[in-house]
Amino acid sequence: MNILWLSVSDPEPGLGNYANLFESEALPRIIWTTVRICIITTLLSVSLGYCLAYAMVHAYRKEQNMMLTFLLVSFWISILVRTFSWLMLLGRKGLVNEWLDAIGIISEPIAFMRNELGVLIGMVHYMVPYAVLPLLVNMQTLDQRVMSASRNLGATGAQTFFRIYLPMTKPGIVASVLLVFILSLGFYVTPAVLGGGKVLMVAEYISVQLLITLKWGIAAMLAALMLFGVLVMLWVMNRFMKLSTVFGGATS
Amino acid sequence: MSDKQFMRETLVEGAHAFKAGKMDRRTFLTLCGATGFVSATVLAGDAEAAADHVVMWNWGGQSEECHGSAIGEAFTAATGKGLKFDTSGPLEGKIKEMVNSGNVTADVADADLFNAVSLGPTGHLEAIDYSIVSKDKTLPGYALEHGVSIILYGYAFVYDTEAYGDNPPTSWADFFDTEKFAGQRSLYKWANGSLEAALLADGVAADALYPLDMDRALNKIKSIKDNSLYWGSGSEAHSMAVNGEASMVMIWQNRGRNIENDTDGRYKLVNNQAIAMPGAYIVPKGNPAGRDAVMKFIATAQEVDAQLKLLDCLGMTPSNPAAFGSIPEDQQPYAITSAMNIDKIVYNDPEWWGKNGGDAVNAFLEAIS
Repeated sequence: MNILWLSVSDPEPGLGNYANLFESEALPRIIWTTVRICIITTLLSVSLGYCLAYAMVHAYRKEQNMMLTFLLVSFWISILVRTFSWLMLLGRKGLVNEWLDAIGIISEPIAFMRNELGVLIGMVHYMVPYAVLPLLVNMQTLDQRVMSASRNLGATGAQTFFRIYLPMTKPGIVASVLLVFILSLGFYVTPAVLGGGKVLMVAEYISVQLLITLKWGIAAMLAALMLFGVLVMLWVMNRFMKLSTVFGGATS
Repeated sequence: MSDKQFMRETLVEGAHAFKAGKMDRRTFLTLCGATGFVSATVLAGDAEAAADHVVMWNWGGQSEECHGSAIGEAFTAATGKGLKFDTSGPLEGKIKEMVNSGNVTADVADADLFNAVSLGPTGHLEAIDYSIVSKDKTLPGYALEHGVSIILYGYAFVYDTEAYGDNPPTSWADFFDTEKFAGQRSLYKWANGSLEAALLADGVAADALYPLDMDRALNKIKSIKDNSLYWGSGSEAHSMAVNGEASMVMIWQNRGRNIENDTDGRYKLVNNQAIAMPGAYIVPKGNPAGRDAVMKFIATAQEVDAQLKLLDCLGMTPSNPAAFGSIPEDQQPYAITSAMNIDKIVYNDPEWWGKNGGDAVNAFLEAIS
């Protein structure tokens, strides 16, 4: 509430901060960068997460436990450590570039890091475990007999997957998309480091306005905008499907 | 805000409640346990409990130890008051927030002089008492109403000697010339220093820099954007050089020295046209130890002895002209006001940055993103 108030009262009362959105050339660009990166991150993370979850559900019990352990262990590694590990691997003088150079495939280092590609690699890597968990829970509760019945009635493997399995995992996909997208919106460390300063996302911009330039009104406006953006997204999702099923409620 | 700050605030609130009798001892100790502190540190951190020490708000790392040995010991010997630290980093927004909340826990902040210009007139800072603090013990123009420069740091750059062996870059013009000196550059992301360097490279005279011609500076910055990275923290710049990600990196001098050491001299510091930044001590409005105590602390930091110790320990250059002559031989290349550098440097204008800094940072970010 305080934030909403600040966004219309600092530096002077009125909707000046919101007008900035249309007048300034940079704000829409920053928001667009953020949304674009978040959408791509979400698509990639959820697709990868889907494959992982699928593999886990259909693995033997023992392997499944091992995979789950690895997945959870990855949550323990700090985001900073992961970010800097990517730099060591894929940086200009990183392992991969040195190796490719040594065997003569490239003459100039490939710019994996310090650009938008670097941000995407770092973010997808961070988000995949988050994408897996809701999908895994969803897939584990499916009734496997339905798939057997489908095959029994003459459907091919692909048909069974696309017409039976995929629709049944829709709540899991939606939950996973929401989780990853919302977490990505608030991403801060990875874009700042892996983007080499050139990829400016809303979360970092807000913190600059709060701490360095003291434009608290702009910061509050952007924060409010993100809040409403997420709420609108939830509302739209709710139009298409009952969100309560996504969050584990009973289907009515 | 960070977790650390949240924890600290929780504890300070708790300590207040405990003292006012609103919270019993057991609950308070539980709170200490829950936030991971032993009660002694909490009571130490609660500056308002006693006026027998001054709390310095700095950036952590080595500075805690260095500020203690360079200023704290002399201050304690003279006044009997101790020195304690809050190492969460006094960014402008945090100072404003602390004063606005009415819960001021720091006495003196190790900040920039332009912070004194932007936060002073809005009533967030105590005025400096120039009957205790001396205007003569800093450079002319760097003793302002709400802050006084104690040390200087400078924006210089390091270059890769292997890339430019026989014909090394010597000025900002070379830094911005990517045809003559091929390779990646790295600049400071928060505009400060980067804008001045761009204008100097574009041929603006050192004494005609201010007010900064933003359009001209940003055009120059954009002209090498494809070959540029931007760093936000000293450690980031350090790793960009040490890992060979950039052939020229704009850097603070004290960091430049570390980079020379860590790369065994492969990267070399260039001090020509270094931009001198006044680091200043400023006092949040309503500081707990009182105005008199903190002014004495600032006066202690101005003494030649403290100034030289800060240089030795932190690599921060003295701002007191009386100390310039005593800079030891081996520190000369890394001290911005040493005899060998002082004629080559350019002075930052805190008035301009205090008034226009916010807009300048945003314009810079918009240009590079």
